[in-house]
Amino acid sequence: MINILRTFLKEGIQAKDIEPNKENIKIYKNIPMCFSKSLYIRHVDCGSCNACEYELSALTNPIYDIERFGIKFVASPKHADAFTISGSITRNMKTPLLDALQNVSNPIIIAIGDCAIDGGIFRGAYGIIGGLRDLNIEPHIWIKGCPPKPEDIIGGILMANGVLR
Amino acid sequence: MIEFEDKERFHFLGMFASDRRYYNEDFVIRYVFLDKKEHNLKINTINTNNEFKSIQNPLANLYEREIYEMFGLSPVGLDDLRPLRLFPENYPKDFHPLRKDTKLDIEYRGYGDYEFENFEPEGSFKILVGPIHAGIIEPGHFRFTLLGEPILKLEIRHSWKHKGIEKFAEEKSVNFAKILSENISGDHTIAHTLAFVRAVENACNINISLKAKYIRAIFLELERLMCNLNDFAFIFQDVGYSFGAQKVFVLKEKLMRLNYDISGHRFNKGVITLGGVSKDLSLEDIKRIKEFLGFLEKEYFKYKSLFLNSPTILERTDTTGEINYETAMRYYALGYTAKASGVFADTRVLLDEDVCKNMLSYHVLQKGDVTTRVLARFNDIEESIKVIKTLLDNIEEGEIIKSQKLVPNSMGFGVVESQRGNIVHMVELDQDANIYRWKIRDPSFHNWPLIQFAVLKDIIADFPLVNKSLNLSYAGNDL
Repeated sequence: MINILRTFLKEGIQAKDIEPNKENIKIYKNIPMCFSKSLYIRHVDCGSCNACEYELSALTNPIYDIERFGIKFVASPKHADAFTISGSITRNMKTPLLDALQNVSNPIIIAIGDCAIDGGIFRGAYGIIGGLRDLNIEPHIWIKGCPPKPEDIIGGILMANGVLR
Repeated sequence: MIEFEDKERFHFLGMFASDRRYYNEDFVIRYVFLDKKEHNLKINTINTNNEFKSIQNPLANLYEREIYEMFGLSPVGLDDLRPLRLFPENYPKDFHPLRKDTKLDIEYRGYGDYEFENFEPEGSFKILVGPIHAGIIEPGHFRFTLLGEPILKLEIRHSWKHKGIEKFAEEKSVNFAKILSENISGDHTIAHTLAFVRAVENACNINISLKAKYIRAIFLELERLMCNLNDFAFIFQDVGYSFGAQKVFVLKEKLMRLNYDISGHRFNKGVITLGGVSKDLSLEDIKRIKEFLGFLEKEYFKYKSLFLNSPTILERTDTTGEINYETAMRYYALGYTAKASGVFADTRVLLDEDVCKNMLSYHVLQKGDVTTRVLARFNDIEESIKVIKTLLDNIEEGEIIKSQKLVPNSMGFGVVESQRGNIVHMVELDQDANIYRWKIRDPSFHNWPLIQFAVLKDIIADFPLVNKSLNLSYAGNDL
C-alpha cells in the first residue's frame, strides 16, 4: 500500500488540459454565466447502445477529472441544472424522459452522440420515436460522435459556458 | 426435449424463431444447444403454425414469452404470457412485429397497463427503483420486496430501450446490418460484430485467412481486457474504495487510448468486416500492444493483491450475491457468472472456431459470490494477456481480407465468447442476399434472471455491488 502511494505521488496529477475537436461540438444556445463554475448534471439514457454511458463514466476518472471544472453528475433530476441525454429515444423511454425533464425548470439539455438529435442509425425502427427534435426539445449543446470522445464532451460543456474558447 | 434433461452435457443457448411462410413453410423454431461432449452446436428444429409445446424450464419460458409476443405463436402449458419487450402502455396487444405481414405504423398512445407479480406477504414493503437510475447507467426497473432489512424478492422489468433492431434489419443489406451490429451493445462492439459476421460467413461458406483470424482474436481479447478492467474498477468503486477504482480506471483509459492509436476508434468500431478484418497490425502496432501489456501486467498485479489483501473490501464482497450451482444450471448461466458458480460454457474452449483454444484452461470456481466473480475476472484478465502475447508472437504474413460472395436463401449461426458470455447470432438471407431474419442473443438475456436469486437475503445496499459484479448489458437484452 505504502509503495503504491509512493508511486502515486511520483506520478503526480494526470489530468491534462482539454483539447476538444471543435468540429464535433455544436452549440445552439450558451449556458447561462451563473453555471460557468458549477454545473450539476443528471444523465438520462433513452436508448443508446451503452457506449455513450461508457464514455460518460470515464469523465470522472483521474485523466479527464471533470469535477475540477465544477461539473458533477448527480443522482436525481431534482438536484440537477442540466441533462445529458444519449441514444435514440424509444417508445418505452419517452414517458420516463419527459417525467425527469419536468423536475427541472428550464433545464440545460446536452445531447450526447449521433443518435440523440434525430435517432441516428436506428431512425425508422418501430421502437424508435426519433430524437430530441421529434419531441420538440431544443438542446443547448450537441456533442457528435459514435460515441463522442470524453475530451469533446468536456470541451463542449466548457465552450458553451464560456470557460473555453 | 431430451437435451433439457442432460444439463451436464447440453448447455441451452437459445430458441431462434423465424417466419418462413414466404418460402411456403410454417414458422420454424430452432432450439440451439452447446454439446460439451462432441464440441459442436446441436440444433433441434420444430415447425409450427400457431402453437408449440412449452418446456419446463424458467429460461426456456422467457424465450417462449419472447416468441409469443414477437410472432404470436402460443406456448401450450405456459400461463405467464406477459410481454417482455412490447410494453402494454405503448404497444397494442395484437402487435407481433416479427410476423412478416404485420403493419408497423402503430399509433403512439396508451393501450393498457403492465401487471407486476402479486407478491405482498404480511409486514413486507416495496422499494421501487428506476427506470432512470442514480448512476450513469442504462434504464431498467427493479421492484424489491423487503421484510425488515433483507430482500425477500426482486422483480425486474426490462426493455425500456427496446428499439426493434431485428425487424429494422430485415430487407436491409448485409453491410448495413453489420453497422447495426456494431451498435447493439457498445462495450461489446467487436464481439457482436464478430458474431454477426461469423453467422453470415457460416451461411455463405466464406473461409477467412489465418491472419485475419489472429487479428480478430487479438481485438476480441483487447475488448475483453477493457471490459474486465472496467468491471474491476467499478467493484472497487461500489465497495467505497475509490483509490483502487481510480487507479484501475486509468489502466482502462490507457487501453482505450491504445485502441484509438491502433484502429482510430476507442471501441475499435469498424475493424471487423465480412471476409476478414479491415485493419492490419503493423510492426509498430504490435510493439505498442506489447509495451502496453508489459505495463499492464506490472500495474494490474499490484491492484489485484490490493483487492485480495484488504479485509475492508472482502468483508463486503464475501458471501454477498450468491448464485448456487443449481440455479446457474437451471438458468443456463454464461460467462464469468457461470464460471464463478461452477458451470463452464466458454465457447472459445468448447468449440473449434477460435484460434486461442489451446491457450486457455478449463477454469471454474465454486462459491458464486461477488468475490468469486471477481476472481473469475482476474483469471480472464490474466488469460487475455497471455493469449494476446502468444498471438502477437505467432502472427504470420498473409492477406487480411478475402473477396466474398453472398449466397441467397441461406442460413447460418455465429457464436462468439464475449466478456459476459457467449453471443449467438442467427442470420437468414433472402433471395437477394439481404437479411430475411436476424436473431440476436446477448448473454445478458441468460444472466439477468440470476440477479433475482443473487440478491435474496442480502440488504438493499448490497444491490449495486451485486449488479456490478454481474455487470450485464441492458441494451443487449432489450434490443
